[in-house]
Amino acid sequence: MSESKPQVSRRDFLKKMASGSAVAATATAAPGMAISAARPKRYAMVIDTRRCIGCQACSVACKTENDVPLGETRSWVEYIEKGEFPNVRRSFLPRLCNQCEKPQCVAVCPTGATYKRQEDGIVVVDSDVCIGCKYCIQACPYGMRYINPKTGTADKCDFCLHRVQNGIVPSCVNTCQGRARIFGDLNDPDSEVSKLIATNATTVLRPEMGTEPMVYYIDADHADQRDAAKQGIYIRIETNRRQKERV
Amino acid sequence: MHELTWGLPVILYLFLGGMGAGAGAVSGSIFLRSGGGDLAGSSFRFARWGAMLAPVLVIIGTGMIVFELGSFQAGNYFRFINLFLTINLSPMSIGSWVLALFILVSLAYAYTFINRNAHPGDELQKLRKMLAWAMVPLGVGVALYTGILLGAMPARPFWNSPILAMLFLVSALSTGVAGILLVRALFGRKQVISKESFEHHSYILGSSDMLLIGLEILVIFLFVMYAHLTIGNVEAAVSVIMGGELTTLFWLGFVVLGLLLPAAIEMKYVMPTLLYQKEYSIPRTMEIVICALVLVGGFMLRYIVVIAGQVTGPTGI
Ligand code: SF4
Ligand code: SF4
Repeated sequence: MSESKPQVSRRDFLKKMASGSAVAATATAAPGMAISAARPKRYAMVIDTRRCIGCQACSVACKTENDVPLGETRSWVEYIEKGEFPNVRRSFLPRLCNQCEKPQCVAVCPTGATYKRQEDGIVVVDSDVCIGCKYCIQACPYGMRYINPKTGTADKCDFCLHRVQNGIVPSCVNTCQGRARIFGDLNDPDSEVSKLIATNATTVLRPEMGTEPMVYYIDADHADQRDAAKQGIYIRIETNRRQKERV
Repeated sequence: MHELTWGLPVILYLFLGGMGAGAGAVSGSIFLRSGGGDLAGSSFRFARWGAMLAPVLVIIGTGMIVFELGSFQAGNYFRFINLFLTINLSPMSIGSWVLALFILVSLAYAYTFINRNAHPGDELQKLRKMLAWAMVPLGVGVALYTGILLGAMPARPFWNSPILAMLFLVSALSTGVAGILLVRALFGRKQVISKESFEHHSYILGSSDMLLIGLEILVIFLFVMYAHLTIGNVEAAVSVIMGGELTTLFWLGFVVLGLLLPAAIEMKYVMPTLLYQKEYSIPRTMEIVICALVLVGGFMLRYIVVIAGQVTGPTGI
């Protein structure tokens, strides 16, 4: 998407030049500045699992930053162990809400409490509107949502909206010492996330769910117990969230 | 395994709501089909049972989910009003409006029957007839929506099937009929005017219940067959009833106890009348047993489906 936009404006530019419209020509002469100011952001995260050491600093930072109730998790890290000694590998899979392009949670919310923000693509819950029907919890294919016992409403990661709005990165990104979590705007072709996605093989989680996640992974191990049975290898997945299993 | 986000209240709501909606739709249609109740006196009383049952069941069911709401448990008792401040394409949003409408209409409909002396052609007849027309589509709507509600989510492969709503609709109608038959068998004896017409109506309801159960078996067959033929997420999810932890409950509790057994008993009594025009007679206890079985089956269905959908999910990551 971010690649096709400049092309369109360039073509526009040529067309308008040809038609001799001087006004239009000046308006499109400096498209970069004018457009990016008006253009909504599309926040995304790239998680480079090669750099993750599974230290859980992000999980802790998230809990502190967002006052996540005891026992619940907005962001966590899964440990994937596979193989028998000496042929073993342990890899890590940091998890958070994918801020999906087509969020299932939004599609089912009967009150409109959950919605995707036009201006930056972050999926948020309005805790003054949410009735706590738990429909969104059922609908999220990634098990990202929980009911906040204090408010009785649905809650989840929101890319630390309160920080991002003030121009600083989410708490987990800030704390990640391996720089495995990279945050930025996909609508800006010069952002680090755009460049990483352009130059790396990336995957998203459960693409078949049609949610079009905005959290991209580099070198993520997508193996699970079913693969273990199929391939006859040992795989163990451990997570530090309350439900000790991956859902 | 996933956590059970929706528990017994939701299961009971789907069961009672479906049964009430089914009873309402059946009552309305019986009433209308007998020429607004004017033709056969006991069709009227028959419709009356359904009319009384419908709002009671649906209101109890709806009350259950209000208690289940997170906002209610956190002390915001009236937060559920937010459902009615907006309408969107969420099945729950549309469903809530339909449900609210059903409750209002069914209450009015029940009111037209509430007088002991209510009879065909009395002053409320016109209103009653109008409301009966509304009861049928609204009842079907509520029953269908309970299935669409669950079916709307790819993240729940066990539920995510167009046939689930059909299954819930048929089950709602069949439990609705069973509900009417049951209260009638339990409390309707005193009002018998003529034995023939009482039996005749038992027959009509019994045979339509048999038909509905037959349809339900067919839908279940399709559900299981496609589950068997498919691959990936759906196959993995449906395996909970095809050898997984809910297998016994599904096949014994629901299919045998809730479908095959009542169908077989009903067949024994209905077939002679259906095929050879023999006089229909069924012991009252048998009728009660059948109805109880159908109701147990209807509850089992909701229970198994709600649990199975939640303990399974997409595979892989
Ligand atoms: S990951 Fe789940 S909660 Fe987050 S936007 Fe996607 S569907 Fe919604
Ligand atoms: S729990 Fe709240 S946010 Fe989730 S679907 Fe219900 S009303 Fe919407």
